Amino acid sequence: MQPKTQMRLVRLWHAALVGGFAVAYLTGDEDTYAMHLFSGWLVVGLVALRFILPLKLNRPNRPRYFTWSILAALGMAGAAAVSGVGADVLPWLEDLHEGLAEMSLWVALAHVAAALVVFKGRKWLARLKPTAVVGALVLLLAASQTALAADAARDAILATYAGQAKAENPAFAGFSAQRGEALYRAKNSVNPDAASCAACHTDDPTRAGRHVKTGRVIEPVAVSANPKRFTDAEKVEERFVRDCKSILGRACSATEKGDYVTFMASR
Amino acid sequence: MRTLIFAAGLTIAALPALAGDHRVAPVRDALVQKECGQCHMTFQPGLLPAASWERMMDKLADHYGDNAAVSAEKGAAIRAYLTANAGRDRRGGTPSRITEARWFTHEHDFPAPVWKRPEVVTKSNCPACHQGAEQGLYDDD
Repeated sequence: MQPKTQMRLVRLWHAALVGGFAVAYLTGDEDTYAMHLFSGWLVVGLVALRFILPLKLNRPNRPRYFTWSILAALGMAGAAAVSGVGADVLPWLEDLHEGLAEMSLWVALAHVAAALVVFKGRKWLARLKPTAVVGALVLLLAASQTALAADAARDAILATYAGQAKAENPAFAGFSAQRGEALYRAKNSVNPDAASCAACHTDDPTRAGRHVKTGRVIEPVAVSANPKRFTDAEKVEERFVRDCKSILGRACSATEKGDYVTFMASR
Repeated sequence: MRTLIFAAGLTIAALPALAGDHRVAPVRDALVQKECGQCHMTFQPGLLPAASWERMMDKLADHYGDNAAVSAEKGAAIRAYLTANAGRDRRGGTPSRITEARWFTHEHDFPAPVWKRPEVVTKSNCPACHQGAEQGLYDDD
């Protein structure tokens, strides 16, 4: 194979690996599990391919530490991906998989730093700059968009409750996180098993709770710990309908719902 | 060295094949996942025979003491999924609870303190001990 063609293929492989890793790293959530699986398998395949192909790792113009950074990055990405394949079937491997994935990100960054030092940065930076800046901007934008979209959805839910609250009570003057907290902690007498919201969600809503009757683990309600909370209007209403009935023995007013969401958004 | 690492990778990827046969087909239906998984684990339909599911779906308003009623439309879809994927009718009839099925009591004959562990709460809390329960994996016994 012509050295030029080989170099091109290596670059293509490199781009695919970086892309696969990035997608896998960003889609660890349950909602994007299909993407996560696909990109994870891509990483497994690409890393395996690299070990199969008879390409020399140690070239004369490369310092030792650079070769090691390549091996470490490949090894860690491979271990993270393979442990992910395992965790798909054996859930107890999940913690190991997450740990390896976090570590492999840092090892990959170290490999980037080593590459910058080895190639003195100049040549690459000159070529990469416009692309890298645009890429970084797109990534940043995408990240902030997701957070903003969640906030917007929550604001819309609060706006709906505010409209209803005004209709219920003309003197309504906005929601209050303090009232929401009082509602959260208030002990009721309807349900001896679950006297308050805190009975299942614990005294600290940023922590995971546990259903008092079924033992099911409940993800944190506080938005800071669980940004997906209060972003699906239908689900929010459904939970209020069920939980207000079972904890308070009655429906919640729109003011109470808005206060509760406001309290959780402040935590 | 390369061959070694690759072989190690392949070995780990093949691990699941070693596991035993305590498996139930996981729930693939999004509606069932969502509606049945809100308060408790989404139990796999294979854990009860169709007649048991039919009876349960007939009285969702009193679901072991809680009101778990859903709209008629959703209820019909859930019922269809549960009965289509239900377990075989085993000798021992059609239990009202998974935890009352004969195979269950047979495999869960533990001393009382085990059931009193704080993370267990109730016998139907499968994931307290079976970490893969939600995926239908009950091999870890």
